Amino acid sequence: MNLRFALRLFTSSLGKKTVMALSGLALTFFMLVHLAENLLLLKGEAAYNGWVDFLLSNPLIPLAELGLLAVFLAHIITGLWVRYENYKAAGFSKYEESKSQGGRTIGSATMIYTAFALLAYLIYHMMHFRFADHSIGFYQMVTEAFRNKVFVAIYVAGALALALHVSHGFQSAFQTLGLNHDKYFSFIKTAGYITALFMTLFAMLSLYFLLGLDAKFSSPYQQKVLETVIN
Amino acid sequence: MENKGFSITLRIWKQASAESEGSFQVYKIDNVIADMSFLEMLDVLNEKLLKEGKEPVAVESDCREGICGCCGLVINGDVHGPDEHSTVCQLHMRRFRDGDVITIEPFRASSFPHIKDLVIDRSALDKIIAAGGYISANAGSAPEANSLPVNKPLAEKAMDAAACIGCGACVAACPNSAAMLFTGAKISHLALLPQGGPERHLRALNMVKAMDSLGFGNCSNEYECEAVCPKEIKISNIARMNREFLKANFLSEEEIEK
Repeated sequence: MNLRFALRLFTSSLGKKTVMALSGLALTFFMLVHLAENLLLLKGEAAYNGWVDFLLSNPLIPLAELGLLAVFLAHIITGLWVRYENYKAAGFSKYEESKSQGGRTIGSATMIYTAFALLAYLIYHMMHFRFADHSIGFYQMVTEAFRNKVFVAIYVAGALALALHVSHGFQSAFQTLGLNHDKYFSFIKTAGYITALFMTLFAMLSLYFLLGLDAKFSSPYQQKVLETVIN
Repeated sequence: MENKGFSITLRIWKQASAESEGSFQVYKIDNVIADMSFLEMLDVLNEKLLKEGKEPVAVESDCREGICGCCGLVINGDVHGPDEHSTVCQLHMRRFRDGDVITIEPFRASSFPHIKDLVIDRSALDKIIAAGGYISANAGSAPEANSLPVNKPLAEKAMDAAACIGCGACVAACPNSAAMLFTGAKISHLALLPQGGPERHLRALNMVKAMDSLGFGNCSNEYECEAVCPKEIKISNIARMNREFLKANFLSEEEIEK
């Protein structure tokens, strides 16, 4: 059996980029699901905790967590590797007078910085929620965090870094996988910006609780309006 | 004709060899005419330096009509100068004004070793072509034109990719010094035509392997290359290279030599 095709995924530039693109798209999909789950917070304690209990009752969850970890590691390792090779090929700044030639965007030029910010944030997020005491209930744990100014500041920064990262990463992944055509590439780019905008909803949700808007919406009339909106 | 010359200050990268340290040297030049090309302006500077007994600035050029890919400079941070999709030889001094300070640097990439001043060694690009940029064809008289039908849009697309002159501006403009626009163009122009068919899988694998082994960086899809390319090669050629590579890697039974 010849496994050179599999080896090439990690030894060649295009192989590494393919792994990075596929894992990136998988993580984007995961974040959209994560966002949908977070939006259940708006429906209240019963809805949110009910969903979490349903998830945790699935015996395959630990396996799924390991899979997610593998995807994260694949994305982080290929990302760092590719960046290191790029540093060897080009250094940090090539010209005394450096200027964009018109292709770069804020998202693309800051990819490595948002990457490190997200990695730091991910570790913080894991410590804060995944490896924390869950005895007070998941809804309580999350909404309490959302009422803490320092936590929300870090959370908003994390969400904005994610949005910036996705704004470039989304179209970049499609291009790497060879999915670029004059007919639809501008649509993919737009879809990427919309996905990035979705990521800012994480930040808005935390601000919603920080500003106490959940309490404001608790009057029977407004509660009803909110329910119709969500349903 | 009246000489309406104007003066500019040039800050030019001077470096004796790849091993020595380089630095910017400042030159003043007074008799610049708007109709001069940028390279002619450098010729005037070098003539003046020679007359003064000083060493001229080493700079590469050949056809001076935008088709050979020899000249390549970074002017005030712009690869191939401020004009879009143009080579340095097609840049004229009317783009500049009296009193301008112009910074001139060579193309930089670790795969392009420095030779002298503004001259660099771009032979790494030739090595990528040598790895797979060819087809098998019968030698002899030209084949009958209609024996291999190629439709017009496809022929145009292949021609657009084949327009690459190998100047290296894509590598120079790339924040990662990747050569993927170049390699993408070279793989594309053969992959799009039936003549390129027999070698297409091995070509993709071999050319990508050569590109990697020569120390070029990895494309991060920022598209700075497309913005500077004098021949307006599109990044869809990079996507096509990626497809060719993935097809060759996963679907082809052919395997390259180690």
